Amino acid sequence: MNINKSNPLLLHPLNKWMKKKKWSWFPHQIETFHHVQTGSDVVVFAPTGAGKTLTGFINPIDDLIKLKKFKGLHTLYISPLKSLANDIVRNLEKPIKDLDLNISFQVRTGDTTPYKKQKQKQKPPNILITTPESLALLNSYENAKEFFHNLKYIIIDEIHTFLDNKRADLLSLNIERLQTYSPNLQRIGLSATLKNKQDAKKWLCRKKPKIVSYENSVLPKIKILESKERIPWSGHMATYSINEIYKEIMKSKLTIIFVNTRAQAEYMFKNLWLINKKKLKIAVHHGSLEKNLRLKVENNLSKGLVDCVVATSSLELGLDYGDVEKIIQVGAPKGINRLLQRVGRSNHNLNTPSKAILVPTNRFEFIEAKAAIEEIKKNNLDKIDLKEGSFDVVAQHIFATACAGQFNINDLYKEIIKAYPYKKLKLNDFKQLINLIQDGGYILKNYDQFKRIFQLRENKNIYKLVNKRETRKYRMNVGTIIENPMLKIKLGTKTLGNIEEVFIQNLSQGDSFIFAGQVLEFQSMKNNLVQVKRSKSLISKIPSYSGGKMPLSTNLANSVRALLAKSNMWDLYPEQITEWLKRQKYISKIPKKDEYLVEQFPRKKNFYTVIYTFAGWHANQTLGFLLLRGFKEFNYKPLGFVANDYAIVLWSLKEVKEIKTILNLGLLDKHLDNYLEETSIVKRFFRDNAIISCLIERRLPGMEKTGKQVLFSSDLIYTVLKKNEPDHILLKSSYEDAKKNMIDYDRLREILKKIDKKIILKKLTSISPLAVPIILEINRENLSKKETDEYILEDLENEILKEANVLSIN
Amino acid sequence: MYYQLINFGNEEFHAYPNKSLYWKRLNTLIVSDLHIGKSISYAKNKQFLPPYDTKEILNKIFVSLDKIKPSNLIVVGDLLHDVFSTLSIKDQDYKNLSQYMKNTNFIWIKGNHDKNIQIEGFKNFTNYKIEKFLFTHIPIETSLFQICGHYHPKVKISHRGKTIFKTCFVHNEKIFILPSFGILTGGLDIHSEQISDVLGKNNLSIYPVGQDKVYKL
Repeated sequence: MNINKSNPLLLHPLNKWMKKKKWSWFPHQIETFHHVQTGSDVVVFAPTGAGKTLTGFINPIDDLIKLKKFKGLHTLYISPLKSLANDIVRNLEKPIKDLDLNISFQVRTGDTTPYKKQKQKQKPPNILITTPESLALLNSYENAKEFFHNLKYIIIDEIHTFLDNKRADLLSLNIERLQTYSPNLQRIGLSATLKNKQDAKKWLCRKKPKIVSYENSVLPKIKILESKERIPWSGHMATYSINEIYKEIMKSKLTIIFVNTRAQAEYMFKNLWLINKKKLKIAVHHGSLEKNLRLKVENNLSKGLVDCVVATSSLELGLDYGDVEKIIQVGAPKGINRLLQRVGRSNHNLNTPSKAILVPTNRFEFIEAKAAIEEIKKNNLDKIDLKEGSFDVVAQHIFATACAGQFNINDLYKEIIKAYPYKKLKLNDFKQLINLIQDGGYILKNYDQFKRIFQLRENKNIYKLVNKRETRKYRMNVGTIIENPMLKIKLGTKTLGNIEEVFIQNLSQGDSFIFAGQVLEFQSMKNNLVQVKRSKSLISKIPSYSGGKMPLSTNLANSVRALLAKSNMWDLYPEQITEWLKRQKYISKIPKKDEYLVEQFPRKKNFYTVIYTFAGWHANQTLGFLLLRGFKEFNYKPLGFVANDYAIVLWSLKEVKEIKTILNLGLLDKHLDNYLEETSIVKRFFRDNAIISCLIERRLPGMEKTGKQVLFSSDLIYTVLKKNEPDHILLKSSYEDAKKNMIDYDRLREILKKIDKKIILKKLTSISPLAVPIILEINRENLSKKETDEYILEDLENEILKEANVLSIN
Repeated sequence: MYYQLINFGNEEFHAYPNKSLYWKRLNTLIVSDLHIGKSISYAKNKQFLPPYDTKEILNKIFVSLDKIKPSNLIVVGDLLHDVFSTLSIKDQDYKNLSQYMKNTNFIWIKGNHDKNIQIEGFKNFTNYKIEKFLFTHIPIETSLFQICGHYHPKVKISHRGKTIFKTCFVHNEKIFILPSFGILTGGLDIHSEQISDVLGKNNLSIYPVGQDKVYKL
């Protein structure tokens, strides 16, 4: 038997290196190599530790060696994170250096110096490791075609993270551009295990699409922290278990503690330091920290110089820090995929299981954690829904295209609809987007003499950028990730990172807050720099980053419902949880898997209605607003509501008698438009749309000082546009975004479709045990911004009047 | 329309939520910083703001004129955003304006944005004195009471853990600053250096503008 035929990789240039390392090829590596060699686009699904990165590079390295001294760019590697890009370079370096292969490779991200970038453009490496945004930028240069025309492979790493967001749209458009430049280009996608593998294939592959899949038989060992303390009813900070978490850190060589928000990260980090008697080396890592601080933590992590890192999703992806022994997840897992991704950060070795400990911060999270562990045992992953391409991203892409040179709109349209998210993009919408980039695309044609791109007189299908200066504007505004306005924090002359402007506005001089693991005191804000000094105070406000709040996945929600209903399992839970559920069963009811429990009870002169939907907080939030309207219609005099991932509570002056009449699909159809009209949800998405489509410019730190940048409140623009041109393409686009993201329209619709037949109504004399956590969350007013403003003004005025002993004004 | 009564220089003024000020005794309406044509002036730098601001500002003015029928309309500066602004005024609106001017004396005080712009049939002034009041875009050295614009004042209000910014009317003993009447115009904190240099920090009377009401702090 010809052994080379069964495993062609034994002849691969890397085989020698594999042998030296005493490693053998994985079956999926052999399969991928074969498919790519025979001209297929491939998506590879494999767990971490299964040599995924190498799998992507097998064909490119083989090809480069065969081609001998290939000049120019041969392979492009797209990574979702800058930190991951750096890690890939470290991994690629080892075999290439050990074998002394004549292959050049470099990284190019937002962190690469302009000098280096310039050199890369003049003399491209064989392999370039970059991000979707940097790729978009490269495509906007006039020499893009020349730069990419010999490109053989594009590798998309962690492709599962790209499928359901605007970055995916941007990336898909840019991949099609590369395909136009280099028709022979082959696509290789690398992914964690996915439920809907076919979708990933459809998204990426064009030529003889193939799926290669490798499932890990070793399951991760995940358990819930066994705490002697009481799990709190409500809250998200896990203060109760801090000593036990510390003990767990001490037991392992290297631990990553994952939390769900940046605020939690800072809080957890601070609390660990307060009890750090053993002087363990503990660090914090999140997206707002200054680049140098982040890199330092990453470096220390890979060298094993720290004992523990507290991190947000910033450390979630792909990083290969082999020494990480244990993962601690603090707070709700929110989704199976996400938890698996995080757990996979420990022990990058296929044959030993990853180890993780879940720390629920409240009682519902305990059930959620338990459910997540069950689903992982069953390998029941969350489905990732492919999204329809967004309009604003196309607008940005049109601008980029114009920056690279004049273009034919028909060719561009044909190229765009090859990208999977834009298969259904209508020519008419596309033309409106051309107009948007040209002059804002307003019906009122005021800007004819000021166009950004214009049609050539000799050929109306060809558009050209009006002047070179515009390319700079595009480059300052590339990308689909929009952060809230941020300010730089300075300690002395040292920059610590960025913090949300809204948060700083709430501070007065002398107020303290935690950032980068230190308690800082706010001193002043000048030229958009926040000057701080170290504070001796231990009391502090916490940075309230708005990012990172994700809804519970439908899959996990279903599992939580199923688990709740299994009363034979309860005795295995901590006593307090068992007690909680038993009392609920006695006083009210535990809903069955497909039932929707509604509880009603009087409390403090008001009437409360609690609905357990398990729909995730976005859908619940929407449902809450709709129910307010429904209740108003029936004259129940509703006063407010609070929603979380599991339930909604509404309180009203009058008893809600017709809940079954109100709670159904009609509610959505009747009130949704009104709801969107009156709240600021669409407005918030309009801001992103206006920035992504380059209608208004992105605000960048440091830019304010030069005074060159003109900033506009997108709220003002939204208001003017909505009043005068409600059918404008950007309003349409913002509405779609709101529907998908904040309102969770499809999910809510699914639930409301079947809810009326499944409602279990319980009239109680007082609050039920299950309702306690959500009742505890009632502390914020649920008023729209406009209403809040008026309320604050009114209230302040009244207070002052009272003080002044004046009863009324005319 | 609800208004807030403001006493300034021993005279009664009414502050309206549409950001205009009315001097009842002399039947005079005062507005400031309309910045007509701001959108079109940004379009020349390829920032394509919705081009509806001019129309909206003019309509707002026309509604006020219809309702109040003032003898005088004083604009304390920056009626126009820049030389391009007139491009955004439609012929019909010119005609309407001229029609209104038959019954209302139009006093256009030049601001830093429109000091070099002329419109046929419209007189403009550097400043304008009525009794003990001087109407001017930016306050000057004088013993008179001054009513001006320029700064687009906003006030930061922190109350019960929440912070909001609101456009406002603001004055001290001698100087009154109007909010901007424009649509796409931003604002400046009244405690910023620029405004403090003019009004000082203490003894300010501040009137935030709400949805349908002008408040008093």
